[in-house]
Amino acid sequence: MSSKVDVKPKTVRIYELDQFEKLLKGIKVAACMITESHQVVDEASVLKRLRALTLNGASDGNACSCCGVGPFDSRAQQTAHYKNHWHTYNLKRKLFGKSPLSLGQFNSRRCEDENDSSVSGSDSETEEKSKNPDSDLFAAATRHCKAFFTNHKGQVFCIYRCILHHKKEQLSTDGEGTAWVERCERLALPGFQRWAVLMVSGGHFAGAIFAGSAVVLHKTMHSYVTRRGQGQGQLNRDQHGNAPRSAGASLRRYNQAQFLEHVQDIISSWTEDLVGCSLILYRAVGSLNQGALFGKNSPLNRDDMRVRALPFPTRKPTYKEVQRVHETVASLEVYDTMELFQKALIASTSKGPTKVNQEANVERTKKQKSPHKPIDRAKSRERAPRELPTQVMSSEDEGPCFIDSETPVGWIKTLSEQSSNGVITNSRKDLLNDHVLKSDHSDQSEPEVPEVKGVKKKKKKTEDKPPAKKTAVKIPDNVKKIWKIISSSDTTLEPILEELENDQLVVACNMADPKDGNTALHKAAIADKPDMVTQLLSAGGDPCVKNHQLQTPYAAAPPTTRLAFRMFQAQYPDKYNYNKSQIPGPVTPEQLEQERERKAQQKRAKRQRDKEKQAERNKTNKFLSMTDSQKVKAVEFRCFFCGTQLPREPFEYDSYQFCSIKCLQNHRNLRPLHKSA
Amino acid sequence: MALRVQFENNNEVGVFSKLTNSYCLVAIGGSENFYSVFEAELADTIPVVHISIAGCRIIGRMTVANKNGLLVPASTTDTELQHIRNSLPDNVKVQRVEERLSALGNVIACNDYVALVHPDLDKDTEEILADTLDVEVFRQTVAGNVLVGSYTALSNRGGLVHPKTTIQDQDELSSLLQVPLVAGTVNRGSDVVAAGLVVNDWCAFCGMDTTSTEISVIESVFKLNDAKPTAITSTMRASLIDSMS
Repeated sequence: MSSKVDVKPKTVRIYELDQFEKLLKGIKVAACMITESHQVVDEASVLKRLRALTLNGASDGNACSCCGVGPFDSRAQQTAHYKNHWHTYNLKRKLFGKSPLSLGQFNSRRCEDENDSSVSGSDSETEEKSKNPDSDLFAAATRHCKAFFTNHKGQVFCIYRCILHHKKEQLSTDGEGTAWVERCERLALPGFQRWAVLMVSGGHFAGAIFAGSAVVLHKTMHSYVTRRGQGQGQLNRDQHGNAPRSAGASLRRYNQAQFLEHVQDIISSWTEDLVGCSLILYRAVGSLNQGALFGKNSPLNRDDMRVRALPFPTRKPTYKEVQRVHETVASLEVYDTMELFQKALIASTSKGPTKVNQEANVERTKKQKSPHKPIDRAKSRERAPRELPTQVMSSEDEGPCFIDSETPVGWIKTLSEQSSNGVITNSRKDLLNDHVLKSDHSDQSEPEVPEVKGVKKKKKKTEDKPPAKKTAVKIPDNVKKIWKIISSSDTTLEPILEELENDQLVVACNMADPKDGNTALHKAAIADKPDMVTQLLSAGGDPCVKNHQLQTPYAAAPPTTRLAFRMFQAQYPDKYNYNKSQIPGPVTPEQLEQERERKAQQKRAKRQRDKEKQAERNKTNKFLSMTDSQKVKAVEFRCFFCGTQLPREPFEYDSYQFCSIKCLQNHRNLRPLHKSA
Repeated sequence: MALRVQFENNNEVGVFSKLTNSYCLVAIGGSENFYSVFEAELADTIPVVHISIAGCRIIGRMTVANKNGLLVPASTTDTELQHIRNSLPDNVKVQRVEERLSALGNVIACNDYVALVHPDLDKDTEEILADTLDVEVFRQTVAGNVLVGSYTALSNRGGLVHPKTTIQDQDELSSLLQVPLVAGTVNRGSDVVAAGLVVNDWCAFCGMDTTSTEISVIESVFKLNDAKPTAITSTMRASLIDSMS
């Protein structure tokens, strides 16, 4: 019970008969326990559908219900839609119970979503929960250790399942749930108030037989069987092998044997009393304790439907505890309205293991397992973004050294510089030293290092906190100028790139626009200017830098400009590490020429094929236009009915020849006069 | 014709076998019983091959296949792959794919022309699928379930989908796949239809628990009653011509 529930539920004990009977008037199983009656596929409806299908063939309901796109004009349009990103995106939204986006919304939201990937598991799950409280409540109710009922006053009350039915018998919750009601009403009968509670744990035994609230019989005992220093029962310890041979150990072993004997004695002396009990509740964890209760010659039988385990943890078995347990099990929580009850139920289930009762607040389960989320494999899950490690081979025999996202950016920087100068990286140690040196005076010479760092951090953190460093970066004028030229209608950057000095040039080319993370190379690619792309690449613009949409310049480029990247890679295969640039591979002008040639050839071949087909069609038509007698005399035989070429062994009758039986039949049916032949 | 079979007392025959129009795969099992049913029905038309995938017998859920090709997950060992290549007809392309969703049979449903796939399937896998199996690929869900392979049994003549698929969804899917579809169950009410049923254009095998109603639905939607492997032009030719002239 959460403390937030304003009105505490009333508690009624089963043995307070007058109150209990009042409660039972007009009893019904609460709605949250009822399942829909089992969904069986209706044979008649399936057969009806089948008949409709055989008449009409595959149905033509060709609209995408997921995106709300109306009937498609052609098959091509339909397939194109289903292959669209928009459709996939809406499909995922639908799975998470969100409404679909229109095409316009999708295009405008795409940019944002790529950053925060809104179709992620976590945030939508809560949404889903709030959307469907009914099924949630049902799930909570069916998992709960109590059963829920309502009565004529609209009150809701909960009873422990263990006093209604044995764990192994499943009362059906379909439809009315009459089985439950029956069990519940039976509790009020006088014979059903006699219960036994037995508890064994750690050398303690406590047992009592109750008739209503009164104790008929009770007994407790204790012996020394657990190792007080190290914990755990002596016999449990011995099972691990290497049993200790100390005096204490043998004492405890002896006591354990004695204890078992005593408990069994007590229970067998109670045999007659136990027969009259309608319920025997026990708590005995572990084989040792269960052995004490259900061991040989015990009057208790584990398969007996009266014998049921207590559904909650208890404290040390004492007389007081037995009384408390009895009271707890026999108590009903009564909520005045359904709303109160629902609130309490949801609150209690969402808080992990529930406290059993108000009195039970004292008992604490020491190891509360974290209520970890169950995985729903029917839903698609988000993939955790993980960056690939950049692999750099060192020349010494240290093997490959990996640089992942945690590695300081300076390293990568130095690496790329060295390799671009044609110097092969020596070893890891050199790199380290290099980096230390660089970082000392990085403030003055490299304004882009903090910038790149900022971007990296941003990837790790969430979007709502833009890093402070990013805003501090000022964009130099020459960079602005480059961007301006790119966005204007000019086609070349030569003049401005020549103005800049070598190291400045690299910095300028790789400077990212804080707005969208686009570098000059991105901008040129997006603006569809292949010449500029080539110039920027040769000036040192890194093709592996990603913008805020995580696109490399290549990925952002339209198809016409993509060629420029590939041709550049063919020309300068060692200039950059192209692995992460997403460029699919180098292309030389010769290859391009070959490709073009191949395509032209294909086109020619296709034209040739078409021509042949047309000729064939002409021949067929000519053949078909002849009368049958002419056909017989014709130079070349074809199927007399459809005019296609004949198979090796044609089907024939009267000297007429056919490609298939069907043609033959049709031909015959058309000419009944020839039948007499 | 639809036949009832069991794999070592298990009714989920779709887990332990894969049936296409040009070959049939069955799991390597302890008993010959399961395999002999397939052999008796199919052996004179298509090869029945015993395989395992990564040492496991759940080949039906791990692989995806049609008459043109076969995709196996990355966990398949080299020897297994070699064995598969050796036993299948030469025109069947066999390809191993690196895919995060490695139970390919659960995430892909296909016939010889179209395939439905899990919305999260890799782009590369989609391409390989289209090339190897020669199919058109669509990302879809079936009754709000992403495991389209588990909840759909498809052939070129019809399809059976999850029992809770709405009529509207059935219409949409059937227009996409260009085959008639019905919602139904196998194995006395099991909704994982692909696990309880394997089907090709002329025969089907379902779990021993399948009721006669379910069988009749299966036979009519997959049009198994009139289906035969095409023998008309070869063996029956002479008698046909006799009767007609």
